[in-house]
Amino acid sequence: MATSSVFLVNVAGQIETGEFQEFDDLYCKYCFVYGPDWLITSGLEESISQITKKSEDERQLFCWNFPLDVTFKSTNPYGWPQLVIHVYGLDVFGVDTVRGYGVTHVPITPGRHKRVIPLFVPESSSTLQKLTSWFLSNRPEFVDPRVVAQGEGRDVTRVRSQGFVTVSFNVVMKDMKKLGYDVLPSDMSTVNVPENVGVQQGQVSEA
Amino acid sequence: MAEIHVIGQIVGATGFPEHSLFCKWGIHTGGAWKILAGLREGQTQVDNPQNHQAAYFSHPIDIHFATKGLQGWPKLHFQVWHQDSFGRNELYGYGFCHVPTSPGIHNIECPTWRPCGTFREQVSQSFLGGGPQLKNPDMIYSGADRYQLRTIAMGKIHLQLGIILRNFDKYGIEC
Repeated sequence: MATSSVFLVNVAGQIETGEFQEFDDLYCKYCFVYGPDWLITSGLEESISQITKKSEDERQLFCWNFPLDVTFKSTNPYGWPQLVIHVYGLDVFGVDTVRGYGVTHVPITPGRHKRVIPLFVPESSSTLQKLTSWFLSNRPEFVDPRVVAQGEGRDVTRVRSQGFVTVSFNVVMKDMKKLGYDVLPSDMSTVNVPENVGVQQGQVSEA
Repeated sequence: MAEIHVIGQIVGATGFPEHSLFCKWGIHTGGAWKILAGLREGQTQVDNPQNHQAAYFSHPIDIHFATKGLQGWPKLHFQVWHQDSFGRNELYGYGFCHVPTSPGIHNIECPTWRPCGTFREQVSQSFLGGGPQLKNPDMIYSGADRYQLRTIAMGKIHLQLGIILRNFDKYGIEC
């Protein structure tokens, strides 16, 4: 096989649940944001969930149970994929309104991971705008939700955090170690097993 | 050269007396270190949370370092600021933490402090706000010249950092 400098990251997971205090009938969208060296080889880069009501018990939980199944390929961990989640619902006038943006990195280590992602919405810059945006049902929102995955230009945004989304990830990687990358401490990735473990007495063979 | 990727987030801040916080961050390294890609400093959004328990920044960090030596392992330094309803900014805390040396995902709590000044300054701060700031921000992450400073504890900054090392074992470095 030709020596390639590509490694693969497989992400299987789900957007499990959401917690919001004052909303109902919510749906969420997700998209992956990644650097220039990255490519999706299979799976959906973005998608929209069903609309869910909150549970009729004291948990008041929104359950999406929405699958994520993507495989990435890259030559360089820089620009590691981030999952951007944005949640929408109807406001009192029946207009689709954003209820929160959230972002997290795809976990960089193999295994199962759970993330509770805080969500936030951008705020109006003045009280007058806050009032008019409520009456006209045009809340401030990001033109491109991918800005929440960027570190630049964040200083001009004022946000209000409200609610959480729980996401689980199962991450599998290929060829990271071959390219010299360590994602786990060496005592965990190359476990030092004594030679006599699992071998019956008198059966140690000279390899 | 050995390489390090620091991939993660400034998650948020807790334990500060007021909310509506934002955070300025930067990274400091020794001379043998080079940043190949990524932002070396930035400023987060201002979060005014609905429930007043934590401010969330969700600010991504993705830096690619190359190094010829271990001295001057990278440090992240922070300044937490409070923005009031008039848009005035007030210093709420300084803090720093080292980038972890072991690969994997780390949840880090960075404690912060602020200078508290003289008795007169403390009284005037409790009425008027404001307060003393460091003239030389290098003191956030250096151990020298701190001995004359009087400080007081503030809240914590929460970080989630993933570390990927490359070619460290090739040079016999054990992490």
